Amino acid sequence: MTTKHGLITDSFKVVKKARREGKRQKRPTPPPPQKEGDSDPVREEELQKLLKFDLDWRFGPCTGISRLQRWERAKLHGLNPPEEIRDLLLQTLTDPEYKHSLWREYPL
Amino acid sequence: MFSDLSAQKEGSSLLCRPASEVQGPVFERMPPTYSPCSERYTFKERSFSRQYAHIYAARLMQMRPLLSERAQQKWGSDVLIRKLCDLQTAEQCCIVGTFFKRMDLQPSILKEISEEHNLLPQPARAKFISETDELILEDELQRIKLEGKIDRDKCVTGSIIAIYGAERNDGKFTVEDFCTADLPLQTARPALSSDRFVLLASGLGLGSIHADSMLGLQLLVDMVTGQLGDQGEQSGAATISRVLLAGNLLSPSTQDKDASTKAKYLTKKTQAGSVEAIRLLDELLLQLAASVSVDVMPGQYDPTNYTLPQQPLHRCMFPLSSVYPTLQLVSNPYQANVDGVRFLGTSGQNVSDIQRYSSMDSHLEILEETLRLRHLAPTAPDTLGCYPFYQKDPFILEECPHVYFSGNAPTFESKLIKGADGQEVLLVTVPEFSSTQTACLVNLRTLECEPVRFSAFSADDDEESEMNISH
Repeated sequence: MTTKHGLITDSFKVVKKARREGKRQKRPTPPPPQKEGDSDPVREEELQKLLKFDLDWRFGPCTGISRLQRWERAKLHGLNPPEEIRDLLLQTLTDPEYKHSLWREYPL
Repeated sequence: MFSDLSAQKEGSSLLCRPASEVQGPVFERMPPTYSPCSERYTFKERSFSRQYAHIYAARLMQMRPLLSERAQQKWGSDVLIRKLCDLQTAEQCCIVGTFFKRMDLQPSILKEISEEHNLLPQPARAKFISETDELILEDELQRIKLEGKIDRDKCVTGSIIAIYGAERNDGKFTVEDFCTADLPLQTARPALSSDRFVLLASGLGLGSIHADSMLGLQLLVDMVTGQLGDQGEQSGAATISRVLLAGNLLSPSTQDKDASTKAKYLTKKTQAGSVEAIRLLDELLLQLAASVSVDVMPGQYDPTNYTLPQQPLHRCMFPLSSVYPTLQLVSNPYQANVDGVRFLGTSGQNVSDIQRYSSMDSHLEILEETLRLRHLAPTAPDTLGCYPFYQKDPFILEECPHVYFSGNAPTFESKLIKGADGQEVLLVTVPEFSSTQTACLVNLRTLECEPVRFSAFSADDDEESEMNISH
C-alpha cells in the first residue's frame, strides 16, 4: 500500500543493472581428440573393418549397443554378417575401442 | 453354455428342507494343465540408454521375410519386391516397409515448448486424426508418400505392410493393393472331454470414490468360489478352472497427481489412495485364490511401470493372498497355455491407443486388425510407451493364439475368426467391470464365450428391482 508521503523509490532511484546475456547453455563437451600416432598397422586395419561393419546399413542402427550385440542380432534375423567380425570381437573383449561402436563417446 | 450346465443338474433346489447330513456334496474343481509362456515380456536388465530406432529396425528385419512371402502368394511369385532406393518410375512393383502417419493433431512435445508460437497446450481430444493426415512408407533407408486405394484413416504408425503399385512422376507412390502379414500358424488344440471354463474380468476399479461395483464384485467372487446358488449352480461353478483379471484392478481415482506437486507438509500425513485399494484387492484375491487359480495382470492405473510390457505386480503388496500358490502375478501382455488352449491378451492399452489414432471405434475391430497385422501394439513406441528393445520385437505374434483378448473395453464383444491356414481364433473384448458389471466365461472345449452380468441395485432406481444374476 502506498503512503501519501511517496515511495521509497523517490528517494533511492532504481538502477537497473545491465542484464547478462541469458545463461549460456551448457553444451555437451565434445569427445577428447584421438590419440595421434597409433603406430600399429594391424590394429588400424582391424578398426577399419569394424568401422565398416558399423556403417553397414543392412544390420540396423549401431548406436547404443555393443558391436557384438549388433552382430548377434544380425545373425538372429538371418542377415549373414561376416564371421570374421565376430572372431575379431571375441578376441578383443576388453578393449573399448573394439567393443563399442563408432559413436561410443557421444551421449544418446 | 454355462447357464445350461447349472440348470440341468437336478440337485436339490434352494426351496427344500436342509439336508440331514452335516456336510453336503463337495464339488471338486479340476485343476487345468497350465504353462505360462510370457518369458519374453519379463526382463532382468533394464537399460534405457538406447534409442528407439533399434526396435523399429528389429521389427522390419523380423517381418520382411514374412511379408515378402505373403506378397508372392498374393500377387504371383514373379512380383518384383524392391527396396525404396531401387524404385523406378512407373514400374509395377511391391515395396515392404513401416507405416508412418503424419498427423497435425498428434500431441508433440516440441510444439508445446516452442517459444516462438507461444501456444497453449492442446486440449485433450478423443481422436487425433484429421483430413490433412499423410501416409508415408519407410524402409531401412528411405521413405515415400503413399496415395491411392488405401484407407488412410484406418492405418496406424508402426504397422509393417507390403504395398503393390507404382511410383509416379512426382515422387509419390500410387497404391493399387496392399497386404498384411496375416495370422501366424497355430498348433491344434487338444479335444477336451468335458466343458471347462475360464473367467475373464477386467477393470475392477477398486479404491474409487463411488463404490458401486463392490456388490457386483462380491457376487462374482461368491459365484466362482461356489458359495452362491443351489447344488446345480455350485457344480456349474466347479467347471470354472481359472480366473484371469485383465488389468485396471485399481480405479483411476487412486492416481493422485497432486501428491507430487503439493507441498510436503500438506501431504505428509495423508496416505496414497492406492494403499487402501491394494489392501481391498488383497482381500478379494485371498477369497479367490483359496478356491481357484487366479492370474492377475496389471493395467494402466495399477502400481507397476508405465511402459509396455508392464511387469507383474510385486508380491509384497499381497501379503495375505500371495501365500497361495494358485495366485499368479503376471505381466501385461500375457500369454499362457491353459489345457492346451493358448491365451494371449493385454489390458487394453494397445487397443485404446490405436482407437485414438485411427478412425476405428470398435475394440473388436481393432483387435482383429492387430491380429491381421501380426503385431500386438504397432503404435509402440510412437504414441504408446514401450521399453527400448534392440534385439527382437517381442510384440510380434509368432504363434497364433486360440483366445485373443483385450481388457477394459466399454462393452463385451466376441467373435470367432478363421484364418487361411485353418487357424481358429476367438476374439474377446473383456468389458470394464466397474461400469458394466459384466465378466466373460470362455468355454475351452468349444471356444465359445458368454457374458455374465451381476447387476445390482442402482442408486436411481425408483421401483423395486430384484437382484438379478442373469446369464
